[in-house]
Amino acid sequence: MQTVGQQLIIAAIPVLPALVFFLLALFGRLLRENAQYVAILGVTVSLVFSVFALLYVAGIIPGGTSIEFAVNWIDLGEGGSFSMGVYIDGLAAMMLVVVCFVSLMIQLYSGAFMDGDKRFAWYYAVLNLFTASMLGLVLAPNFIELYVFWELVGLCSYLLIGHWFEKPSARDAALKAFIVTRIGDAALFIAIIIFWAQTGTTSFEGISEAAQAGFIGSSLLTAAIVLVFVGAVGKSAQFPLHVWLPDAMEGPTPVSALIHAATMVAAGVYLVARTYDIFVQSEQAMLVVAYIGGFTALMAATMALVKKDIKRVVAYSTVSQLGYMMLGLGIGSYTAGVFHLYNHAFFKALLFLCAGSIIYAMDSYNLFEMGGLRHRMPITFWTMVIAGLSLAGIFPFSGFWSKDAIVASAYDEHYYVLFGMALITVFLTAFYIFRAIFLAFTGEPRTEGARAAVESPGIMVGPMVILAFLSVVSGWVGIPDGFGIPVKDYFAQLVVPSEFARETLGLEPHPFSLALATVSVAAALVGIGLAYALYIQRPERAGALSRRFSGLYSFLDQGWYFDALYGATFVRAARYLGRLARGFDREVLVGGLTGGVGRLVSGFGEFLRRLQTGGVQNYALFILLSVLIIGIIVGAQYAFLVFALIALATITAFAVGSRL
Amino acid sequence: MPPIPPQVQQIIDALTATPPLEGYLVVGAIMFAIGAWGALVRRNAVVVFMCVELMINAVNLTLVAFADYLPNAGGLGVSYAVLVIAIAAAEIAVGLAIVLAVFRTRRTVNVDEITSMRG
Repeated sequence: MQTVGQQLIIAAIPVLPALVFFLLALFGRLLRENAQYVAILGVTVSLVFSVFALLYVAGIIPGGTSIEFAVNWIDLGEGGSFSMGVYIDGLAAMMLVVVCFVSLMIQLYSGAFMDGDKRFAWYYAVLNLFTASMLGLVLAPNFIELYVFWELVGLCSYLLIGHWFEKPSARDAALKAFIVTRIGDAALFIAIIIFWAQTGTTSFEGISEAAQAGFIGSSLLTAAIVLVFVGAVGKSAQFPLHVWLPDAMEGPTPVSALIHAATMVAAGVYLVARTYDIFVQSEQAMLVVAYIGGFTALMAATMALVKKDIKRVVAYSTVSQLGYMMLGLGIGSYTAGVFHLYNHAFFKALLFLCAGSIIYAMDSYNLFEMGGLRHRMPITFWTMVIAGLSLAGIFPFSGFWSKDAIVASAYDEHYYVLFGMALITVFLTAFYIFRAIFLAFTGEPRTEGARAAVESPGIMVGPMVILAFLSVVSGWVGIPDGFGIPVKDYFAQLVVPSEFARETLGLEPHPFSLALATVSVAAALVGIGLAYALYIQRPERAGALSRRFSGLYSFLDQGWYFDALYGATFVRAARYLGRLARGFDREVLVGGLTGGVGRLVSGFGEFLRRLQTGGVQNYALFILLSVLIIGIIVGAQYAFLVFALIALATITAFAVGSRL
Repeated sequence: MPPIPPQVQQIIDALTATPPLEGYLVVGAIMFAIGAWGALVRRNAVVVFMCVELMINAVNLTLVAFADYLPNAGGLGVSYAVLVIAIAAAEIAVGLAIVLAVFRTRRTVNVDEITSMRG
């Protein structure tokens, strides 16, 4: 159990950035460029508190292995209640630290990158809301709370991708990201409703226990799990909902780094990891996760091969790496999947910051307008090489440890198809990232911009160097025990699947296999070698190849024509529906109903207008007649009726007669 | 004093007898009808006002008659009649002022010609 003070510290982790958001949203105009200091202060304190949570969960601060408390949020009386709470185990504590740390690095970096931006303070405000939402999502112990933050994350990504909304392409990209992820969100929501209806609870633990006790039929359970996974697919940009992520590159580059490393896309993988006890109860659902992940990894890697835009190369690599994580989770190597999420956060943030540094220096995204930047921007070059080696999975960089663990367990668990896919992806990954590095940094400068580029300022380079350091060493906390170095596998002790998950999956620990590691590193080295051969030794050969296989080239460049396919089917269908609705609205609703009511009233008014003669005696006549009629109705006595009718007739006759 | 002939006595009795309620009501109704008729058909605004006065007084007559006939009402009808008279006086003052104002601007008091409120 924790003391109240400790609980307050935990609660402050997401609350502080949220507070910063409100501060900056309200007083951003006054603070202007000073907004960054407020933001950085907030997120630094959050980071310190997160480290506290990590130390607590790891047992270094005595207390227990998990932190759990909740308050009642919505009380439905007989219908149950929803709570807002906190659940921190090793997984959540690790995520808290990663999110805070990456967010801090990016906020430091943004100070220079976004300098002079019109909405500088607003940018920082949303950045902090983004961080706060992700932290809240990580802490959530139940689906409802998770869903709230899940949607907030989606909203923030929309705001940040569309930060430069004056550009039409940024607007479109923001909308695309929002709508595509929304498909996943809807699926997740349906899954939550199914769970709630079947078990009467929304907490992850409660649903898992209810499912074990057989409260949900097995096919319904599989359907619900797959729907949860569809939600994760939308957020984590997996096939077939991956199309938004490359377009999201329209946002400022530090935002891309944040989305790709810590906040947005990590949420999907985190959701699967968080609800792992539910996932393992359906074998089919686990297979879906594994195969979607494996396929996405391979598909996105091929798309990245030919991209000209440096940010898009890195973006597709994110899709591909997230595929790895899903693959790892799907085949049951939980720790390896989460470990890759953790390592990926550092080197992917670094890759984006390097790309941002180049863009800052020469204001171009196009790889073929760069070249020869190695001598002009040495720090960017070396940090990007480190990140590239880590991404490619070269020993002993951090990416090696997690990627090798996933690839090896695919082999050990006898998923040979997935193993093949993963191995090919290793090769492709090494090739495309070093293609980008070689194109940007080696050879002769291809444009004036590349010739004039200078190294970015210290406040941008600083975070890059820190992240480069972590890209090397972050994997060292998870060196497998069988490797032969007397270092404990700290990560595997911290992030462990539950006893139940291990029993259900029937996993047995596999010793570290030197042969598999050699194969995967060899595949990566071949990829780097091929990139070297094609882009440094004989640059003309790459062009010749692309001309020779122009069909394949444009197939890959257009992202397997997914955008065209969705454009021809879903987008067109939605447009048609929209036009239909607009027609119905204009013709039937506005033209028919609303206009009809208007015409009816004005026609009736036109008729009544004739009664308003302006002659005072006409009015008097109406008054008299009305009084008589009211008298008849109210009195309704026979004699009175006769008398009144006679009087009425007489007066009318007199009145009308004398007028004529 | 010579005895009064019975025929004369009958006439005297009829003239000095308390008139029945119906008498007042019939007179009131006739006055009201004449007033209403005049208010509806006469063209001169001043005459229309006079006819309205006639209607008001017909109602007053009815009120007073009922007040006498229904002693349990405690003379409520009479006080209403006084109220009506007061209001009628105010009304006629305002109304005649309006008629005068209209006459000054239009040089006519013919209500048929005053139709500027026509819809």
